Amino acid sequence: MIKLEDVSVSHTLPNGSKKPVFERMSISIARGEMVYLIGPSGSGKTTLLRLLYMDLLPEQGRVTVGKYQSDSISQKEIPFLRRSLGVVFQDFQLLPDRTVYDNVAFAMHATGKSGSVIQAKVLQVLARVGLSHKRRRYPHELSGGEQQRVVIARAIANEPWIMLADEPTGNLDPAVADDTLKLLISLHRQGMTLIMATHDYRLVKNFPARTLAFMKGRLVEVEPTTLTS
Amino acid sequence: MSLTYSIKEGLAGFSRAKFASIATTGSMAVALVLIGIFILMTYEARSVSDWLRQRVGELELFLDESADDQLGNAIYNRALVTPGIESAEYVSKAEAVQIFKREFGEDGDVFYDEPFLPASVKVRVTPQYANKDSLASLTSYFSAWNRISDVVYNESLLDKVMRNMQALQRIGGWLGLLVVIASIFLVANTIRLSIFGRRLLIRTMKLVGATDSFIRRPFLVEGIMQGLVASILASTVLIILYSLLRGFVPQFGTTSGIDLAALLVIIMLVLGAFLGWSGSFFAVRRFIKDVYLH
Repeated sequence: MIKLEDVSVSHTLPNGSKKPVFERMSISIARGEMVYLIGPSGSGKTTLLRLLYMDLLPEQGRVTVGKYQSDSISQKEIPFLRRSLGVVFQDFQLLPDRTVYDNVAFAMHATGKSGSVIQAKVLQVLARVGLSHKRRRYPHELSGGEQQRVVIARAIANEPWIMLADEPTGNLDPAVADDTLKLLISLHRQGMTLIMATHDYRLVKNFPARTLAFMKGRLVEVEPTTLTS
Repeated sequence: MSLTYSIKEGLAGFSRAKFASIATTGSMAVALVLIGIFILMTYEARSVSDWLRQRVGELELFLDESADDQLGNAIYNRALVTPGIESAEYVSKAEAVQIFKREFGEDGDVFYDEPFLPASVKVRVTPQYANKDSLASLTSYFSAWNRISDVVYNESLLDKVMRNMQALQRIGGWLGLLVVIASIFLVANTIRLSIFGRRLLIRTMKLVGATDSFIRRPFLVEGIMQGLVASILASTVLIILYSLLRGFVPQFGTTSGIDLAALLVIIMLVLGAFLGWSGSFFAVRRFIKDVYLH
């Protein structure tokens, strides 16, 4: 279960004043659910995702992700919360000096897995995203869609139960964006909770799911089929 | 095993970020050379100071005019076994005349007819005794001996030498300390820049749930390795410099009973590893705290 209860967050502007991103926001997302977060740039989509992987803690209220709660989690527990999450960004964030295989294996080494487990799992997740044959390539040798699939492989290597995707198709052309979303949806269908921030309404309409829209500091449920691209 | 991985990663960091590694190792080597020069200077300043004080504080025991060579040798032998005495030399009347001739040349001819110069025993004290208090008590000790007419040493020159040496050591100490502090800042800054260049790595590690100590470990291994390489470079430079300098200043290394080169290498290795470890530790700790995932 993912829950935000009366959560308030604000940004500090360069002049020192505070600008609220959202105030007293409450939402609840069930395990295994798929949710789109939509809204214009700067509306708070990324801020909400940051709250979920606790890169940012709320000024007020409480964020609950599984057994972890923002008001009681210690700094030492945050890495363990993140192991239960897979995160995918628009700008990939792959390590440029490592091969596809090493980029994925790296995520497992970082969580203390042993060598034999890592090898089997990396090959398995690379096969899952259709990139086994490119495991020895470096990120710059791959297309944008392929790089995003490596990021997805890295995100699922530690078998998280939640996938957070922040504009994962933002840098991809429509056909590749569709393929990437299909891959994410297939993971969701296997039981993974998928929360995806996007402003690509075409995708939301083509692959409808529960949609939460940021509107003037509030989060409202919208019907995906009513969105205009 | 994650420790093995950290070591492998730390070593791989050398080849992955070649320029940053060279810059960091280079700056550490420069810092270690400066620190090494400071250590050598401090060490050798003491050697040179001891050497100088021993020579300036040389005592001359003048014998009675009636004393013959046999008595002179007896006094020489007795002086030699006195505590605090390193060496002694008996100067007979005939040798005193030779010394006089050498120093005064033709102008001294008028004194040659009569051998007016007394025999003497020159006594060189150990470095621990080459100070005013010890020399004063040795002077009164030797003055009490039979057939010794006078005991002298150049007190005012010793005073001047000691004052100047102290001033030089103080100035050297402060300058050295400044150099050491500056070099530590230089190293810390270079390591910070090098780690800043790899903040994506730290960010990715944080993102996938690596603990802070896991993130730190490869950087610490890398820092220690860079420190060790830098210390080997610095030791080589210092040993070459030191051997060259010994050609010019033969007093260097005269009072040392230890293998200075080996000691220097050990000090450099320990300092290098510490410098690399501490620089990396503080820089990476800061970046782990400051790097946001998005």
